[in-house]
Amino acid sequence: MRFVSMAFKNLRRRPVRSILTITGVALAVAVAVSLAGFNLGYRNAIERSIDRLGFQLMIMSKGCPYEAATMMLKGGTGLLYLPSEIYEKVRNDPDIGSITPVFIGIAEKEGSGIRDDSGSAFAIIAGIDVQSYMEMKPWLEFETGTGFENGRWFKVDSEDEVVMGYEAATYEQRKVGDKFLATISPQGAARSIQKTFRIAGILKRTGTQDDGTVFLPLKNAQKLFNRPNELTILGIKMKQFSGAKLQEFESRWLSLPSVQVVSLQQVKSTLVMLIGTAQTMIAAVTIIAVLVALIGVINAILMSVYERTGEIGVMKAIGAFRGDIFQLIWIETLVICIIGAVTGTLVAISGSRLVEAAIKKLINLGVQGSIVLINWQIITGVMAGAVIVGFFAGLYPAWRAASMHPIDAIREGE
Amino acid sequence: MSLFRYNTTVTGKEYFMQKAFCFALLLNLIWQVSGAHAAVGCTLSNPSQDLKYLFPEMSTYREDVKALDQMADGRELFQKLKERLGSDLDPVYETYETPYTVYTIFKGDNVIGYVHGVNVPGEGGVIQIFASVNPQTGAMSRFFFQRLESTVAKLLKKKEFLSQFNGLTLADFYKHDYFSKVEPASTEDKVAGIKNPIPSGQNDSDYRSTLRGVRKNLILLDMFVYKQKDEPFYKRAQEVLAEKKKEAVKPLEKKQ
Repeated sequence: MRFVSMAFKNLRRRPVRSILTITGVALAVAVAVSLAGFNLGYRNAIERSIDRLGFQLMIMSKGCPYEAATMMLKGGTGLLYLPSEIYEKVRNDPDIGSITPVFIGIAEKEGSGIRDDSGSAFAIIAGIDVQSYMEMKPWLEFETGTGFENGRWFKVDSEDEVVMGYEAATYEQRKVGDKFLATISPQGAARSIQKTFRIAGILKRTGTQDDGTVFLPLKNAQKLFNRPNELTILGIKMKQFSGAKLQEFESRWLSLPSVQVVSLQQVKSTLVMLIGTAQTMIAAVTIIAVLVALIGVINAILMSVYERTGEIGVMKAIGAFRGDIFQLIWIETLVICIIGAVTGTLVAISGSRLVEAAIKKLINLGVQGSIVLINWQIITGVMAGAVIVGFFAGLYPAWRAASMHPIDAIREGE
Repeated sequence: MSLFRYNTTVTGKEYFMQKAFCFALLLNLIWQVSGAHAAVGCTLSNPSQDLKYLFPEMSTYREDVKALDQMADGRELFQKLKERLGSDLDPVYETYETPYTVYTIFKGDNVIGYVHGVNVPGEGGVIQIFASVNPQTGAMSRFFFQRLESTVAKLLKKKEFLSQFNGLTLADFYKHDYFSKVEPASTEDKVAGIKNPIPSGQNDSDYRSTLRGVRKNLILLDMFVYKQKDEPFYKRAQEVLAEKKKEAVKPLEKKQ
């Protein structure tokens, strides 16, 4: 306790230097905490977003869906479809807990630019079977409040009712009961048709792609796009989800021609793998920040030792042991690192929303919700890291001070 | 694109990785699209290209986001907007918090125009109305739809219809309030002179929404850029209308 109080006194003797050194450590810790928080938060956000899809597995037509989407965006022929009969075959699989057929079509929206030749906008139209879809996504609820009262799902056989996702409705500035116009190109038809729908309900925001989707009855969507016997995906939840069950399921259904089974677990792993590069960068920045802070601490303590050479000599001359001097200097280093770590952690916690806003402004990360998550594990880890850094940073200056000869030190100090 | 193409020669693990990667990208694509839907304000889809198209001589532009709720006299301006528009603002999408973007176009150091857009709810979807105006007079030099999903979209997008708005000012709309009630046959009423492209008998609500959108656009520009220079026209029109109303009531009172 005596050494701790002496260490504090020594630090107070040179307040500017002590504050600057502590600030250096605090900044490094704040960077480390924020980046670790971003790393964890972003990973969680990806998992949350994928879990909110509601499916564990999807069966879709072979071919890269990204390629199909690109073709669609560039005015190509559209998405890839699988025959409806596959749904009839797969639905009775013993491992399936629930299954929902989904038809996705792209409706053109007139104009997205000021020039006639500007690319047109589009709306994602999803034909769904409400009952099975809701089994997958029981959290879907209707928006309430002014303009959104009495929201409900469309009738199964309705030909002119739609339900809009929150953002699709906001983008189109639609309310419950309003009309919604979409231009649809039925397969094989030479001309597009402009269809007027009535909005039966608007869903609450979910943070998933459902927000940007316009839902209508499955049969009606298939009819409008003139694909009465086709589906885009089958969303599946298994009774028991495990690697072995998944493999069994896949081997059963991969034999079907032109069908692929995609596990969202794989998607999740791939997305996490994709951000691996970013994580490496983050780790590199953190390591550099910590190294800079470490060098700063060693430099400051070493300066302090050199300035106090005479004082250390006197202490030794009046009976201080090598271990006493070593402890004193070493504790000073640890105190700097601990105060810096606490300050940096507080700065990171209080500034986390700011960091989040800045990241979101700079990059579209493609996920909704909070992307910076600072938890106790991060705080404990960073604090422990700061103590370990302090432990090693203090070794050389403490050894240097402890190994001074008292007479030489007093002479040098004069 | 060959990187993403399904390849039958790949091994099982690679195959799954490829599928998952492709699907992950699709998800990301959809999220980005849906993310773009979140904006409630009205901004140009591609400002640098769109503004260069409108003003080929442009050297640079500035983008200012204006929000009434961020202004000291915002509440008062919002109330004024309601009154001068002459119709109720949509309680969900035309709120006090709605942000607006004013683009100032420069040629060197000189301002050569302003471009401003507003959203108005149309019959079948949002209508995004942009106007470019003369920086000195506030007169419209060009008017265009950025988004318009309508059964009569083709008629409303015709150059003959759009060009009728060239030279129109906010003062013309305020004068129209007077002329439409007092002198309906006046040739000075430029707004009444705009020919409705929709044949009579057909639903022309999107035409009316368009006029409302242009008026809203000019009112906001007058507030944001021109320090309400057209306000005297509004006040004068309202005064004259009030006087006419009084005069119309007097004979009735005498009779009673």
